[in-house]
Amino acid sequence: MDRDLKKEIGVGIFFLLLAIAYMAGASKISTFTPFGNRGLDSRSVPELLGILTIILSVTYIIQICLKSRKLKKIQKEREINSSEVCDWEEDICVEPPKGTFVSRIENVISVRLLISLIYLAIYTALYQPLGFILSSIFFLIAESFILTNKGERKKWAVFIILFSVGASILIYFVFTKYLTLILPSGILG
Amino acid sequence: MFHMLATGFASVFTDPTCITMVFLGVVVGIIFGALPGLTTVAGLSMFLPVTYVMASHIGLAMLTAIYIGGISGGLISAILLNMPGTPASIATTFEGAPMARKGEAGKALGIAVFASLIGTLTGVAVMIFASPLLAKLTLKFGPWEYFSVTFFALTLIASLTEKSVIKGLLSAMFGMMIATVGLSPTDGTPRFTFGSLQMSSGFHLLVVLVGLYAIREVLLAASEKEQPVKVLDYKMKGLGFGRRDLKGNWFNLIRSSLLGLGIGVLPGIGGSTSNIIAYSVAKNSSKHPEKYGTGIPDGLIASESSNNSSIGGAMIPLLTLGIPGDGATAILLGGFMLHGMQPGPLLFQQNGPVVYSIFAAMALGTIFMAVLMWGGMRMFVKILKVPNHILIPLIVVLCSIGAYALSSRVFDMWGLLLFGFIGLMMSRFGIPAPPFILGFILEGSLELNLRRGLEYSNGNWLDVFTHPISAMFLILTLLSLIMTIFNNYKAAKKDLAQGV
Repeated sequence: MDRDLKKEIGVGIFFLLLAIAYMAGASKISTFTPFGNRGLDSRSVPELLGILTIILSVTYIIQICLKSRKLKKIQKEREINSSEVCDWEEDICVEPPKGTFVSRIENVISVRLLISLIYLAIYTALYQPLGFILSSIFFLIAESFILTNKGERKKWAVFIILFSVGASILIYFVFTKYLTLILPSGILG
Repeated sequence: MFHMLATGFASVFTDPTCITMVFLGVVVGIIFGALPGLTTVAGLSMFLPVTYVMASHIGLAMLTAIYIGGISGGLISAILLNMPGTPASIATTFEGAPMARKGEAGKALGIAVFASLIGTLTGVAVMIFASPLLAKLTLKFGPWEYFSVTFFALTLIASLTEKSVIKGLLSAMFGMMIATVGLSPTDGTPRFTFGSLQMSSGFHLLVVLVGLYAIREVLLAASEKEQPVKVLDYKMKGLGFGRRDLKGNWFNLIRSSLLGLGIGVLPGIGGSTSNIIAYSVAKNSSKHPEKYGTGIPDGLIASESSNNSSIGGAMIPLLTLGIPGDGATAILLGGFMLHGMQPGPLLFQQNGPVVYSIFAAMALGTIFMAVLMWGGMRMFVKILKVPNHILIPLIVVLCSIGAYALSSRVFDMWGLLLFGFIGLMMSRFGIPAPPFILGFILEGSLELNLRRGLEYSNGNWLDVFTHPISAMFLILTLLSLIMTIFNNYKAAKKDLAQGV
C-alpha cells in the first residue's frame, strides 16, 4: 500500500481509538435530571460525539481501503497494457541507505524539533520552582543555541547570552511592575 | 448607530494612549506579517498578555491593530523575498516577486499597499454598517436558531478546509471532545476531569488557541534549518506608483475587495484562502491571462485587496454570533472574553461603546498601516534580517506568560505544550486545524442550545424544523454537505483516473 494511504489509515485508526476511549470515559459521567428526563443529560452529547466519531472514522478507513484497492487495480491494468516491464517498481523497492543513528531519527522527526520539545517541557517544569527570570534565561540561551546553525554558534554566543539575560529581566519587570501581572519569582525570592 | 459611532471615534481620537497602542499594534503586526514563518496569530498570541491589564477598549484596539498590520505586512516579504510572510499573501508572490526581479519592486510595494488600504477600508466599512444590523436580527434567535447556525458553521468549515470532508469533520469532533472536558453546561456535572480540580475548569480557550497556532508555528519553524535572507533591492518614490498603473484595475480592485469580504464572513477561513481565489478570479476574467505570473499589477491588486478586506469580513460573524471568521479572530474572541465580554448578539447592547471604539480603532489602524508602510518601508525591510533563532524563543517566553497569567498556574503552560504538540501532529498528518478550533469554541454553545431547545419542546426533536430560521440553516447544512461529498467524489474519481 502507498505510504500516504497508510498514513491516512493511521489517521482513521487514531480517531477510532480516541472515540472508543472517549466513549468509555463518557459512560462514567454522572447524570442529574431534577426536572425529569425532558431532553438530554450531561452524558448525552459526549456519547453522541463518540458515536459520530466512530462512524466517521470507520467510514474514513473504508474509504481509504477502497481507494487503495482501486489504485492497485489501475496500476495492474497499466502494467499489462504497458509494453515495457516497469522498472519504476524496482526503484521503489530499493531500500534507503542506512545512515547514522541521528540521521535515522531525522527521518521521523527533526532533532531540533525534538530537543525544542524537551526544552519546552523542562522550561515548564522549572517555571515555578526556579522562577520566571532564571528559567527564562536558561530557556532562551538553550533554545537560541539549538536553533542557530552549527557553524554560526560561536559568532552569536555572546549576543545570545547577553540578550537572554537582558530580555528575561526586562520582561519580568515590565510585566510585574508596569502591567501588574504576577509571575513566579522562585529562588530569587 | 451614527451617534454611537461618533462617540466611538471621539473616544479613540481624543485618547493619546489608545492612539499610541493602535500605532504600536500596527507596527508589531507588520513586523510579524513580514517575517516569513511567523504569522499574525503568533503576533497576537505574543502581545495578548500585554493587553490583560489595559482598559478593554484599548487592549482590544491594540489586538485588532496587530491583526490589520499582520495581514498587510505579508506583502513585504512576498515581494522582496519571494516568500509569503503569511498565508494571506501567497498569491502576492505570483506577481510581486517577478515585478521585483524586473526592477519594479518599489512600484509593486506601492501598489500592494494601496490595494491593502482599499481592501481594509472596504471590509471595515461594511463591518461597521452590517454588524449592528445583523446583531439586531440575531437578537431574535432562540436556542434552536443558535443551534442550527452553529451546526451549519461547523459543517461548513469542515467541508471548506480539507479535501476530505470526513477528515474535516473528524477534526471538528476532536475539538468538540476537548471542549467537553470540565463542567457540563446547565447542570455543572464534571466530565473527563479524572478527579482533578484543575481539570474541572477545562482547557482555557487561549491555551488551546495559542498552543495550536503559535506554539505549533514556533515548533515548525524550529524544525527547519535557518536560511540566510536575501532581500531584493528597491526604490520607492512617493507612493511608488502613478495613476496610470491602476488603469483598468478599478473594477478588479472593487471585485476582489468584495470577494475577500464574502470569504472572510465564512467561518474559519479568511485571508489565507481569499487571496488565492481572488487571484484566480482576476486571472480567469482577464483579457490577457497569459500575462499573469510575469509581473503585472492586476494579480497583485487582486491578492492584496482581497486578503485585507477579509479582516472586516471575519469580524462580522465574530461580533454578531461569536463565531470567529479565521485564526486571528479566534484569538480576538479570547481577547474579548478576557475583558469580560462575550461576542454575540448581546455584545452591541451590553458593550456598545467598546464595540464602536474598536470600529474607530480599526479605521485608525488602517490609516496607520498605509502611512507606516509607505513611509517606514526601509525600517520593516531591515527587520526582515532579524534571525529566527532570536525571535522564536522570545515568542515562546511571551506566550508562556500569557498562559500562566490566565490563572497563575503552570497547568495552563502544560496545556500550551500539549496543544502545541497536538497542532504539530495535526499538520504532520494533514488534519486541518480550523475545524478543530471551531469545534472547540462552538461545542459549549451547541450543547447548551440543543439542551435548552429540547427542554423547551419537552424533548421533541422535530421542534427544530418548526422554526423557519433554524430549518433554513439545517437545510443549508444538508445542501453544503451533499455538494461537498459530490465534489469530493468527482475529485477522487479524477485522481484515480490519473493514478494518484
